Amino acid sequence: MNPILTFIVVLIGFYGLATSKNIIKSVFCVTIIESGIILLFLNLGNFQGGGIPILNGEADAIVDPLPQALMITTIVIGSTVTALSLMLCIKLFHRYGSIEWAQILRREDVE
Amino acid sequence: MEHAPILFILIPVITAIIIYVLRSRWSHYLAFFAQIIVTVLAVIYYVDIAPHFVSGVIYFIGDWDVIGIPLMNDRLSAVLVSLTIFVWWMVLIYKFRPKEAEPTFLFFLLFLEGVFLGLLQTSDLFNLFVFMELTTIIVTILVAFKKMGSSIRAGVYYLLLNTAGVLMFLIGVVLLYYTFGTINMLEIRNGMEGLAPGHTVVGLAYVLMMAGISVKAALFPVFAWLPRAHGVAQSAVSALLSGLIVKGGIYLFIRLNGMFSPADFDYMDFFFFVGLATALTGSLFAMMQKNIKVLLAYSTLTQVGLIIIGLVSLDDYSAGLLHVVHHALFKGLLFFAAGIIVSVYRTKDITKISGLMRSMPIVSIFMIIGMLAITGAPFMNGYISKALITDALYDDPLRYYAVFLVNVGSAAAFVKLSMIFFGPKTLSYPHKNYAQIVPLAVISLACFVFGIFHESLGEILFGFDVSAVDPFTFTALATYIVTIAFGFLLYHHLIRPDRKGVRRLRRFTVTFETANYLFVIYVAVLTGFFLLL
Repeated sequence: MNPILTFIVVLIGFYGLATSKNIIKSVFCVTIIESGIILLFLNLGNFQGGGIPILNGEADAIVDPLPQALMITTIVIGSTVTALSLMLCIKLFHRYGSIEWAQILRREDVE
Repeated sequence: MEHAPILFILIPVITAIIIYVLRSRWSHYLAFFAQIIVTVLAVIYYVDIAPHFVSGVIYFIGDWDVIGIPLMNDRLSAVLVSLTIFVWWMVLIYKFRPKEAEPTFLFFLLFLEGVFLGLLQTSDLFNLFVFMELTTIIVTILVAFKKMGSSIRAGVYYLLLNTAGVLMFLIGVVLLYYTFGTINMLEIRNGMEGLAPGHTVVGLAYVLMMAGISVKAALFPVFAWLPRAHGVAQSAVSALLSGLIVKGGIYLFIRLNGMFSPADFDYMDFFFFVGLATALTGSLFAMMQKNIKVLLAYSTLTQVGLIIIGLVSLDDYSAGLLHVVHHALFKGLLFFAAGIIVSVYRTKDITKISGLMRSMPIVSIFMIIGMLAITGAPFMNGYISKALITDALYDDPLRYYAVFLVNVGSAAAFVKLSMIFFGPKTLSYPHKNYAQIVPLAVISLACFVFGIFHESLGEILFGFDVSAVDPFTFTALATYIVTIAFGFLLYHHLIRPDRKGVRRLRRFTVTFETANYLFVIYVAVLTGFFLLL
């Protein structure tokens, strides 16, 4: 996969953040950006025909293990952010009866 | 003792988990106990490594060599780690109730301390990303902790905008790994020495990382989350956020500019204007507010702008770092005092609060000390760092007067806030929590000490010479009085009548998609600036 394509995924995410008026869509856009970055990073350490980075004595042509280790962490953090923001969305829907940014931010304080 | 850096992170986090599991009445004492251990450890460790502060002491987690995760402590980290521990003491004392404990709140509070101490020490870019993102998540939970509609919407806004910023930072990390094959900041710095000037990928990485940090530090076009989040959080949390967490972004600004210094990207003028715009917006909106906490939150924006101006105008980070420490002190003081006032008057509207001097004389005195310090009165700590920043701009009259304008705006906001001291007493409820007075007293004392003994303290704590600033002169006093006089005139003639324009500016908010749109434009401008250079 071409790194340029992953960049395009990231840009789609930012385009969505700058235009979507719905909280759920904003959460998804953050997830899309994150997926783009994960693909980009994995791409850089990967090459055609590279073996898995588990060494049994012989070190052949293996892919770079560091991006994989780091991206696992990124996926974990990303799922945390998604879970937390969706949970807050549910709370917001209960308080304001809407998940549109404009309607939620316009209202005065609700206890 | 060499394991102290990792213990700074682990002790608060493990204590937090113990508190959450046990949920006992003694949670708060447990937190104090952990705090004492961390404090003692920090004192011993920093006295021990003080001779090596210039180059920094590196600790590799788990005894791995260069491939491990490094934690570095130099002067910058040491000052901010000590400041963090101090501010956490104040917040813990402020939240202390002998009879009731809040284990869940303490869990997140202590967890945040561990994570933030990690953020200040780590020297590994990916680790930095993890700590930044963890800080964002925990701060979101603390902001939304009251579960009111306004605090939850501020939490979501904060979380998504900051996550977008941090992900931008992560793309920069990926690009640097692609170029240098390492994510160790010191190795990357060494690798940059041999680089051709104007390297495109490294330049792009710089741009993206700076954009991400700008969101965390609430710089000009991407500040919209700050007044929202700091205005609705509990006062203790607001003090923490305004005093310290925002400074995490500024710390990274210093650190990463240090890392990129061999590549020599000349962004100093650009960031001067970003800082100036931040400070002016902060002053302008602070003047208009009626909500005491939103006013203080916008004033944080002013001070962040001044810190950035100080960082880019001087050759070293001395003035900026000094203002970071001083601002953490007086903004903490003001938010703590505001929390007491809000709990006593049961309103945040400063037009409905009056006669504070009569109903709460002690809190009023501490609040006045905080206000004097933040407007830069001589003998107070705020004067020292503000004078250092303005002295550096003295050769350039345009910039000097721009910063003067910022100070006038800030003075007008605090003249407006000071109106709560006078007038007839309004309805109030008694304040019986004397533990909350302790942090006010301690921080007030610190404000004076840092203002009067600035020469010796600057030498011992920060290791730089601030003897050029002399608060005991007539000029210092005259400048201050002129600033306040202009601020008073501005308040009296423009803001007090509460005209249509003032009301409209007060209601001004940035919607979420506009905030992101501004962020994308900001990145585009940074990139364009790099390509033009």
